[in-house]
Amino acid sequence: MATASAPTAGIPVGPGLSMFDPIFIGIDEFGQHVYITLAYRNLLAGGEPGGGKSGLLNTIAAHAALSVDSRLVLLDGKLVELGQWEDCADAFIGPDITAALDVLRRLQTVMNNRYAWLRAHGRRKVTALDGLSVITVLVDEIAFYSATIGSKQEQEEFVALLRDLVARGRAAGIPVIAATQRPSFDIIPTSLRDLFGYRAAFRCTTPNSSNIVLGHGWAEQGYTATDIAPTNQGAAYLIAEGGTPRRIKVAYLDDAQIAGIADYATWTRRPTRLSAPTGTRVDWETAA
Amino acid sequence: MSKSSPRRSFGRKSIGTVTVIEAKVHRSSARNARMAFILTAVIIGVLAAVVAAAYVHPIIALFIGAAVSVPCGALAWLLVRIWPVLRLLWWWTPEIVLAVLLLTGWVQLATHTSTLVTLAVVAVVLGVPAAVPALRRQVVAWVWCLIVRHRLRVCFAQFIIANQSGSLPLILWATPTPVGERVWVYLRPGLSLADLEGRLDKIAVTCHASSVLVERASDGNAAYLRFDIKRREVLTATVTSPLADVIDPDAPATDRPTPVIPTALDLPDVQAPTITLPVQPKKQTATSANGSKPAPAPSSDADDLSDWL
Ligand SMILES: Nc1ncnc2c1ncn2[C@@H]1O[C@H](COP(=O)(O)OP(=O)(O)O)[C@@H](O)[C@H]1O
Ligand SMILES: [Mg+2]
Repeated sequence: MATASAPTAGIPVGPGLSMFDPIFIGIDEFGQHVYITLAYRNLLAGGEPGGGKSGLLNTIAAHAALSVDSRLVLLDGKLVELGQWEDCADAFIGPDITAALDVLRRLQTVMNNRYAWLRAHGRRKVTALDGLSVITVLVDEIAFYSATIGSKQEQEEFVALLRDLVARGRAAGIPVIAATQRPSFDIIPTSLRDLFGYRAAFRCTTPNSSNIVLGHGWAEQGYTATDIAPTNQGAAYLIAEGGTPRRIKVAYLDDAQIAGIADYATWTRRPTRLSAPTGTRVDWETAA
Repeated sequence: MSKSSPRRSFGRKSIGTVTVIEAKVHRSSARNARMAFILTAVIIGVLAAVVAAAYVHPIIALFIGAAVSVPCGALAWLLVRIWPVLRLLWWWTPEIVLAVLLLTGWVQLATHTSTLVTLAVVAVVLGVPAAVPALRRQVVAWVWCLIVRHRLRVCFAQFIIANQSGSLPLILWATPTPVGERVWVYLRPGLSLADLEGRLDKIAVTCHASSVLVERASDGNAAYLRFDIKRREVLTATVTSPLADVIDPDAPATDRPTPVIPTALDLPDVQAPTITLPVQPKKQTATSANGSKPAPAPSSDADDLSDWL
């Protein structure tokens, strides 16, 4: 399903990066590079606290920030995990469910407009040639929004909007990357969990938790995130739709590196930030 | 061959028949050689006769065909009969080539230079890879590649029963990987991926490795497999993202408006919430539910405490 072939030498970087490119996220157990293509897939990361979920989200955010055709929407109840990307993000939501709902509703409208635009052109999905930006939605600790803050009603609306984005967003170029400690039914409904194309299981305490992330029955076949050593943070099982889980180690950016990339991304994005929205929005209006 | 037959006719049979498989393989090899002789001879003979018939009389052409076919058939017979030897040579080709090269080099060196120079060259050739860690690791990795091909063959020959004629899978090439080696294998009839998956633990032991994985190397051919032999763990290493190296370090730092820095950073700095308001209605409901008199002061304190626990 990957649109671009994996690069053979090194990783393409700089302003030429695109969200339609394969994203480098780490190495597999043979030391080979692991790439995922997020433009048409969603990703769910699960695992115990300190497993490395936020590390994975930051690695993806770094690629998205350096991509030319990308916009970042960040929801982070903890403020600090994704906080360094605030300046290159189009929306950064802290512990505020009203703001979270607002931005999700905006995204839903954008998604509907994009589908109308695609239909008008007789097409089925957004491609790299459309000049539309991929809006990457990163949610750290879903449980905070879906089960902790706000009223019951707001939490339900949050889950409903998120499910809509996950279910329909992929062809419209709005992938969702979410992290939560244990994606059991009381945190995110099973119907929502099963929609994520990529799942990454960081260390879990029971085979059952691992199964909840990876999908049913993998622990019995020997793929269980309980066998990751507690000291080996950032190691995970990654499963892509229809494949078998692979053991990977996620690439890690420390705070200084993130600050450097974020500053650089903010610097390089500023010119496009002024012109791009108007350009695309005009396209939008005429098309829709 | 039944178990009792050798015992019954023990006097007549030679000791050579004790190893049953060997005899079987031997017989099938003889039969194969005969078949190869006949097939080659007939095909080459007919072809030669047909071609020759275009130039000479058909009868003479038949003789020519026969004359050509017999040596060709004999060659085919010989090839099949010495196939086990050829196979052995093929297995050891890299080692043989390496040994020949090294010996030739040594002899040439020894005859053409003085002893001192010879020793110096040998010291450099051996010493440099031994002293430079990166080179040393590379050499060791290659040596393991050579070893692991033989260990895999031992696996197939010793405990992975293939087929009646005892043909072994073709062990193709091996390359070093960061965790060990990767070996490509082409299976012969009688084996499958599933057969091997059940024996990976034994293969790992035979290869002196920590674990072995096997997967298909080609979507279109189930016989073409890839063995991944793991001796080291790479997942414990820290991986950095290459994105960190490509940014321009001179990029101007974003000037953020200094955010309001919160002050109350320790527990004593934050006042306990006034608990009188929530407590009062609780007290009232508790007393009314009990329908009893309001309790004395010490017990009401205890009540509050349990509410908060
Ligand atoms: N890929 C990684 N490689 C090395 N260390 C990591 C990696 N990911 C996380 N860590 C370490 O683990 C700690 C916790 O990781 P974090 O991503 O915050 O976990 P989580 O979000 O799952 O609770 C980090 O502070 C870091 O020191
Ligand atoms: Mg986290």
